Amino acid sequence: MTTPGTTIGQNIPHDSAKGHVTGQSIYIDDMPIQRNELFVDFLGSPVAHGRIKAIDLEPARQIPGVVALFTAADLDGHNLFGPILQDEVLLVEDVAMFVGHPIVVIAAETRKALWQAKKAIKLEFEELPPILTIDEAIAQQQFIGAPRTLAQGNLEEGFAQADHILEGTFVNGGQEHFYLESQSALAYPDEHNTLTVHSSTQNPSEVQAVIAEVLGLSFNQVVVITKRMGGAFGGKECQATHPAVMASLVALKTKRPARICLTVDDDMCSTGKRHPFKNRYKVGFSKDGDITALDVQLFSNGGAANDLSTAVMGRAMCHAENAYFIPNIRITGTICRTNLPPNTAFRGFGGPQGMLNMENIMESIAAYLKQDAYDIRRRNLYGLTDRNITPYGQVLQNNTLHELFDTLVERADYKTRRAHIDAFNRQSKTHLKGIALTGMKFGISFNTKFLNQANALVHLYLDGTVQVSTGATEMGQGVNTKIQQLVADAFHLPPDRVRVMPTSTEKNNNTSATAASSSADLNGQAAVNACNTIRDRLIEFASRHFAHQHGEATGSPFHIVWDETGIYDSRHPDDRLSFQKLVSLAHLDRVNLGERGFYATPGLEFSWETGTGNPFLYFTMGCAVSEVLIDRFTGDMKVLRSDLLMDIGKPLNPGIDRGQIVGAFVQGMGWLTTEDLRYTHRGELLTHSPTTYKVPNIQDLPDIFNVDWIENHGNIVNIKGSKAVGEPPLMLAISVWAAAKHALTYVSNGEIPQLNAPASNEEILSRLMHYAHGEKSPWTALDRPEVTIVPPSTTTSGIKG
Amino acid sequence: MNPSGASLRDKLVLYINGKRHEIAGDLAFAPVTDYLRYHLHLTGTKVVCAEGDCGACTLLIGRPEDQELSYQAVNGCIQYMYQLDGTHVVTLEGMTPAGSVNAVQEAMIACNGAQCGYCTPGIVMAMCGFFDTKPDTQPASPKDIQDTLTGNLCRCTGYEAILKAGTQVSLNAQPKLRELYPAASIIEDLEALKRQPACVQGSTQQVFLPTSLADAVRLKAAHPKAVIVSGGTDVHVVCNKRHTEPQTVISLANVAGLQGITIEDGFVSIGAKVSLAKLEQQLGDIFPEFTQMLERFGSPQIKHAGTLAGNIANGSPIGDSLPFLFVMDAEVEALGPAGTRLINFNSLYTGYRQLALAEDELIQRIRIPLPSPTESRKLYKISRRQHLDISTFTAALRVELDGPTIRWAKLAYGGVGPVVLRLPKTEAFLTGKPLTEALVKEAGQIAAAEISPISDVRGHRDYRLALAENILQKWYWELMDHTEGVLK
Repeated sequence: MTTPGTTIGQNIPHDSAKGHVTGQSIYIDDMPIQRNELFVDFLGSPVAHGRIKAIDLEPARQIPGVVALFTAADLDGHNLFGPILQDEVLLVEDVAMFVGHPIVVIAAETRKALWQAKKAIKLEFEELPPILTIDEAIAQQQFIGAPRTLAQGNLEEGFAQADHILEGTFVNGGQEHFYLESQSALAYPDEHNTLTVHSSTQNPSEVQAVIAEVLGLSFNQVVVITKRMGGAFGGKECQATHPAVMASLVALKTKRPARICLTVDDDMCSTGKRHPFKNRYKVGFSKDGDITALDVQLFSNGGAANDLSTAVMGRAMCHAENAYFIPNIRITGTICRTNLPPNTAFRGFGGPQGMLNMENIMESIAAYLKQDAYDIRRRNLYGLTDRNITPYGQVLQNNTLHELFDTLVERADYKTRRAHIDAFNRQSKTHLKGIALTGMKFGISFNTKFLNQANALVHLYLDGTVQVSTGATEMGQGVNTKIQQLVADAFHLPPDRVRVMPTSTEKNNNTSATAASSSADLNGQAAVNACNTIRDRLIEFASRHFAHQHGEATGSPFHIVWDETGIYDSRHPDDRLSFQKLVSLAHLDRVNLGERGFYATPGLEFSWETGTGNPFLYFTMGCAVSEVLIDRFTGDMKVLRSDLLMDIGKPLNPGIDRGQIVGAFVQGMGWLTTEDLRYTHRGELLTHSPTTYKVPNIQDLPDIFNVDWIENHGNIVNIKGSKAVGEPPLMLAISVWAAAKHALTYVSNGEIPQLNAPASNEEILSRLMHYAHGEKSPWTALDRPEVTIVPPSTTTSGIKG
Repeated sequence: MNPSGASLRDKLVLYINGKRHEIAGDLAFAPVTDYLRYHLHLTGTKVVCAEGDCGACTLLIGRPEDQELSYQAVNGCIQYMYQLDGTHVVTLEGMTPAGSVNAVQEAMIACNGAQCGYCTPGIVMAMCGFFDTKPDTQPASPKDIQDTLTGNLCRCTGYEAILKAGTQVSLNAQPKLRELYPAASIIEDLEALKRQPACVQGSTQQVFLPTSLADAVRLKAAHPKAVIVSGGTDVHVVCNKRHTEPQTVISLANVAGLQGITIEDGFVSIGAKVSLAKLEQQLGDIFPEFTQMLERFGSPQIKHAGTLAGNIANGSPIGDSLPFLFVMDAEVEALGPAGTRLINFNSLYTGYRQLALAEDELIQRIRIPLPSPTESRKLYKISRRQHLDISTFTAALRVELDGPTIRWAKLAYGGVGPVVLRLPKTEAFLTGKPLTEALVKEAGQIAAAEISPISDVRGHRDYRLALAENILQKWYWELMDHTEGVLK
């Protein structure tokens, strides 16, 4: 149901759609080149771990067109930064901590001079042994922060009640964001050591803060503007900062505009990714598959500095039980420090890793009991009225998981198809099939309470048009369109009268990153709050206006009606003002036509000290069934069919939300199938461009692909009854991985099959060969690290061929 | 030097969105995307990977053909200016008058086909290219759109909305490029230019654009280190990524001939400039397995630019066309100062990317013997992603069966050594024996013992060994009726 005259709940196109399809949308590298502008790049460390013995910049200085070279010594502020712990060194001073760790910032008149300078700079290192994997970090006790624990119930009793206990390990690989627009920034030097910086970032306020701190400026000397990003997915939450600081350093020191746009290869090699995990678990369950106890130890590979690793691990821990109630549970999370680029936010933010581990356990229990994994999952779902307390003590309310599971299992004809798969696998000499229905429950709100706030600035102009500015940044997800709809709705205007402005720290201060799926929730509500204040003023003015017009002594705001036809006093319905007329009259009457709105999510409280609280305002939920076909001889896998069913409340814009669901699912599928990061034993990334790093392409869509959501008008705690949708559907792709694991149960000789993520064709074939011929080599071994290291001396360049 | 005696043109000439451009100096050696973005400020064309693997830079290139301009989608990032002499380049900005949208763009807007927008220009251009040459006015099928967009990566949408948009394009409302850009005057100008040899000098580079293969050979003899460029889909990736600048380039852009596919004297003969796309269109009746493999070889953009000769000359052991050419006993016809000679593929490669070609020899054509009607051929390409990925392992299996008995067998594997390898021991083992599951299992072990692959970014050594062993079983079951265990 939609209200007449509003576009809330309607499928209006993305506010940049026409610009995108005609090539008129502007990104950083598209902005016209300024007079005197410099190109900026950096030289990163060629070693994963090493002490700098000498830097010789002289050969680079001699190259025509090279204007300036900067090292850590040229920073006037401090060289340490990080959103949570200040532990990341921007420009290496002494010890390089990962391949690509920036050492020298280069400014030049031409790109060619930049490339030549990068080749000419001479670096000498004392190489130190790098740590690349979680196992190595554990052996050397290299951790970031202290391990944390969430617990509920009594583990000992839970295991005592169990008929069966399984123990195991599980590994998932990382994931490159592969935003199409690489990290970029353009800095203009303004007068008196001030800067205006255009940055492709999800977090303009953090970019502003870090530029100021590193360059020795005050925050108010730096304005950061983000018009849009060509994709981000979490990769520009913290790591857009580095290039923005580099451009700003050059602009400040040379007094010339300075632009940096990384190549895809340099970007992939030097920036962090989704965290790889290697987990241990011990699970107890009854003969019917009821889980009585679970002890999970999550270990993430954090890279060389914290970045957001502690927060990512926090979310992984808060999602380690996924959609299932486990009465006795302990979850510990440990972050390992390694010599890889600092791993960072990526859509789902630890949630996918926590959930994947749990869904692996579900498949394992089913394989052990020789039961249908669906039945195991269904019986362990969180209860509607009891069995509904999460490991961190939050009561799960408005639980739609039962409705989702029961609807989808029927609609997707799961049971019949599973029976057909049994028959197919018995008969086929050449292929194997597998199927899985997995659940998803994702907590909405930043785990860190203070981040759950937003401000918005709404300006009405005398022609009846509106500008709105918020801290939300547009990366394609459609937040601007949703805010445009909300503001248009507040003033009963068609959306094209409302323009959502580039995000700027000048308009909106101290904003949170556009992250945690909640930017429309937070910024949309802040904008609506601002609109409501202006509305109240205009209604008050209108009541006085109509009173004056009709010779009444006092106005009656109560009688003012405002709809898409205009504004009027219900006692004088023929006397109507258009919005434009109302605004211009109000201005003459000196009514304030601008407002700053603010919103802070109510009711949130969470403490890691106790591991308890209400970190989330609500949960977005869903489930998915996928069926896969595997070639027994090559390991090649095809997704035959996926059915997705979600609870996203009352969507603000169903077209945009469907795009988020499908896009997230396919991205998650990539993480769990073809996206396979590979490194040398020296910690160099080998898969640093789309030639070697394979994100899904249009041929990889499931042959049959059904996407839907249930009706749920009960999420009254969030704006217009909507739910956040950016991240949650990514985790529905776990059904694809679980289906592959299910397929392996048909050939694993009764054992619980071990399958790492990603389930690439190589991974799958290594398992098929293991179960056919036993463990013959490290390639078929069951226990392997979370970082794939190509054996030395035989590695070839990532360049084609 | 001016081998043909005609006066030398010292500028490139091309049209961009209907406007004539003359290019001299260093700009002649830039990717066309640099010229568009940084000199003409046509920033609708995006560059992401700079290696032809993402499609964000897709452009339409029109070349004179039968009194029309024939437009094809290519990756602009690896099309250098010197390849585009004598062409009409159409960018996204040139597809519609400012402020308006065409049918493809309208469908993309209506279906939410764009999110962040960075891949969108390439997707729109690839679709516009497809619809521009679509022979009928039927709506596109999902498979049409998938095949059109194999080379366009999108990280936001998950493709569903784009696929829907493609199938909803109203063809009658989509203007044809020949209506937007009347071809006659452009062709007249370009055809005259293309008959005139050119040489353009940059500050450190020079490019020759000969008009005949004989001239190209003479130029190569005079400049033995010169890089020969036709499609440029391999060499320009290296230029972009390693920032190398070949001193001398010989662009085959204006060399006449070499375009044909002919069948004569028991051979299919393929000219060196025949694009992979054309090969895919025309070879299906004779070598259906080869054209099926070409479907997965690369994107339309790559196949429009790349050539079979280029794949051969690049010489990679994972060149997808090579195992097929090995088992077919195909030949390269090389042209040098002394004339032509034929080299069998099985003796063409002398080491990793080393060819038995003299420095002054060029590939003129490729000759593939016509197959016997009773033989059976299968090609396999294993890669991390099914489509548009460089192979981890390739195989070609060619046999002739006499009832259940293998009369002869020819096997070639790629990705298992520095060059593509024939498997003589496995071939000998199979010859004369009845084809059974037990036989192919044993043959697989022999095959694996004949190779010594390495571990690299595309797969572990043991993975390649397992594939080498298993592929014979896969082949066997594809030949056999699945349930009955008899030959199909």
